[in-house]
Amino acid sequence: MILGIARKEFVDAWRDGRFRLGAALVLVLLLVSGLLARQQVARAQGERDAATALERKNWLEQGDKNSHSAGHYGVNVFKPTSPLAVFDRGIEPFVGTSVFLEAHRQNQAAFLPAQDATAMRRFGELSAAVALQMLVPLLIVLLAFGALAGERESGTLRQILSLGVRPRQLVLGKALGLGATVAVLLLPAAGVMAFLLARAAGPEATGLWARAGGLALSYSAYLAIFVALSVAVSASTRTSRTALTILLSIWALNCIVAPRLASDVIHQSLPTPKLAEFEAEMQKGVMEGLDGHDPRNKRLADFQRDTLAKHGKTRVEDLPFNFQGLVMLESERIAGEVFDFHFGKLWDRIQAQDRAVALAGVGAPMLALRSASMAFAGTDFAHHRHFAVSAEQHRREFVRVLNEDLMNNARPGDHRYAAGRALWEQLPVFRLEPLPVHDAWGAARAGVLVLAGWLLAALGTLFFSAGRLRVVNA
Amino acid sequence: MLEAQKLTKRFQDRVAVDSLDLRIEPGEIYALLGPNGAGKTTTINLFLGFLTPDSGAARVAGTSVAEDPVAARRKLAYIPEMVSLYPRFSGVENLDYFSRLGGHARQHTELYELLARSGLTREAADRRVGTYSKGMRQKVGIALALATGAKALLLDEPTSGLDPAASHEFSRMLRKLAKDGVAILMATHDLFRAREDASRIGIILNGRLVAQYSRDEIKDQDLEKIYLERLSA
Repeated sequence: MILGIARKEFVDAWRDGRFRLGAALVLVLLLVSGLLARQQVARAQGERDAATALERKNWLEQGDKNSHSAGHYGVNVFKPTSPLAVFDRGIEPFVGTSVFLEAHRQNQAAFLPAQDATAMRRFGELSAAVALQMLVPLLIVLLAFGALAGERESGTLRQILSLGVRPRQLVLGKALGLGATVAVLLLPAAGVMAFLLARAAGPEATGLWARAGGLALSYSAYLAIFVALSVAVSASTRTSRTALTILLSIWALNCIVAPRLASDVIHQSLPTPKLAEFEAEMQKGVMEGLDGHDPRNKRLADFQRDTLAKHGKTRVEDLPFNFQGLVMLESERIAGEVFDFHFGKLWDRIQAQDRAVALAGVGAPMLALRSASMAFAGTDFAHHRHFAVSAEQHRREFVRVLNEDLMNNARPGDHRYAAGRALWEQLPVFRLEPLPVHDAWGAARAGVLVLAGWLLAALGTLFFSAGRLRVVNA
Repeated sequence: MLEAQKLTKRFQDRVAVDSLDLRIEPGEIYALLGPNGAGKTTTINLFLGFLTPDSGAARVAGTSVAEDPVAARRKLAYIPEMVSLYPRFSGVENLDYFSRLGGHARQHTELYELLARSGLTREAADRRVGTYSKGMRQKVGIALALATGAKALLLDEPTSGLDPAASHEFSRMLRKLAKDGVAILMATHDLFRAREDASRIGIILNGRLVAQYSRDEIKDQDLEKIYLERLSA
């Protein structure tokens, strides 16, 4: 019975020219956005590979020079693009894509793609994820608002129930049929996406299918929520016009109002420091110690005294190595502690904001979906943090190798010491190990749980709405 | 059969159906006559279980509508003033869908046959219902009653707006169903059809059944005169 109702609903939807037109538009948007994103990602990947090769060439061919000078010459490392960025670009356009690694300074990721964009970006960026988050729910609303209210108006509801069909069977059949209609509509886009992903090569592709599975589950749950709610509202309202008004309001609250509201409220309640303040705090930490009572000069003087005592010497010139190199290593260690403390705090705060957004999904499922989607696509802040931490670790290793060379090979006061290509080649090319899949699931957990809660609530509402299905208003 | 015992329904202060006692036997066509708002459609809705009675009971072939509305509905067919169908489906597709919902899935050849028995040609059966006249829709309704093998048939102004030929054709089908043992309750304004088709006629006014006549009782009388006298009484 339920399957028969679902089948009729499915056939009826596809015979409706208005639905076919809307579906074609959505499908074209999905495919075009996917293909354009693929093109952008491929271009960015190509540029990154070319820039990485050029950086390596420049590094190796920089000529002989003091290893400390080479530390200041520095290298740029580039953030690889997740293959799933084709689907959801997440925060990628708004965070840096490369970090300049040099001695003494921990630079933040720079070159935001959004900086290169035109003012048209104000209208938002179309991606397959945005189309699924905003346009497909709208299509579901337009498809489902009359599912039962329309049948009531046309008289077919009376006809159906007079045959002994239970309201619950009817409501579930309607929801199932509409769900199948949307699933079939999205199949070609999913096929194209799977094809593009299958072609994704390189280490970034690790765990790709597990991530894609997470995306498929999250989006299926989200769209199922809309189908269930739309049918429930249609069952509970007297006219299809009322159902449409209520459903469009829900859509607007979820897709337009909630994201802006959540962003503002969460930014107010969990603020991040301004850039100038943050850098001043960092500088203060380096110069005065994390507790503010351990000035850098005193620390370095203590360090010199302890080192001389350890080697039984009274002058740094008598040490069996270049003390200046050791001081640089120590300075890097101190700066590293400050970096870990301040950036750790900042990143924890940003991740707390992200979690709060996912939890705000309790009020609007799109927020939970967005959070899960970016996490699975590898374009959320957790993945960006992984890149920033890996780049900093690479910088520390890079500076350590150079400082140790200075310490062990340059005589004190010998400013003519120069290292060469043999040392430069010891420094490896930066390769970002992809964040393990279980970490991506961990980052998506809050969003996924909120979506699961919504799905249960929506199915409960659907079930409950069957009891409210009335043919005659008495 | 269809049976009402002291069936009463109120809408706030207004009594829509007042202690209605009615028994329609298999093979009988009962025409319920009355002006607008007299309680005809409410009676039909009470038999369908779309309304809950304030007191009394409605039964379809022994099944209490209030106790098990789904089981009661399974035993009857309902044809409203305008049979509601899906315009993007053909006549035969509509019949297929509705008869499946009624628990009587049938082969397509059978469905065409049922539509043909109801007066719908094969060509018409294959056309989308969006192009159907009212008479054609009523024929699909009759075919549905045949398909579900209903023991009772509820009709709400079934011939309203039909042209004389379509109305005559509809009556012919109705009499055929009655001959097959179906108990039929027809709420109508159509005095001519009531006189032609009904084995009994009841006049309902302000929810009360004020008069009942058998076919033989009104054989040589002017039904219109009787009806108008009852209304003005």
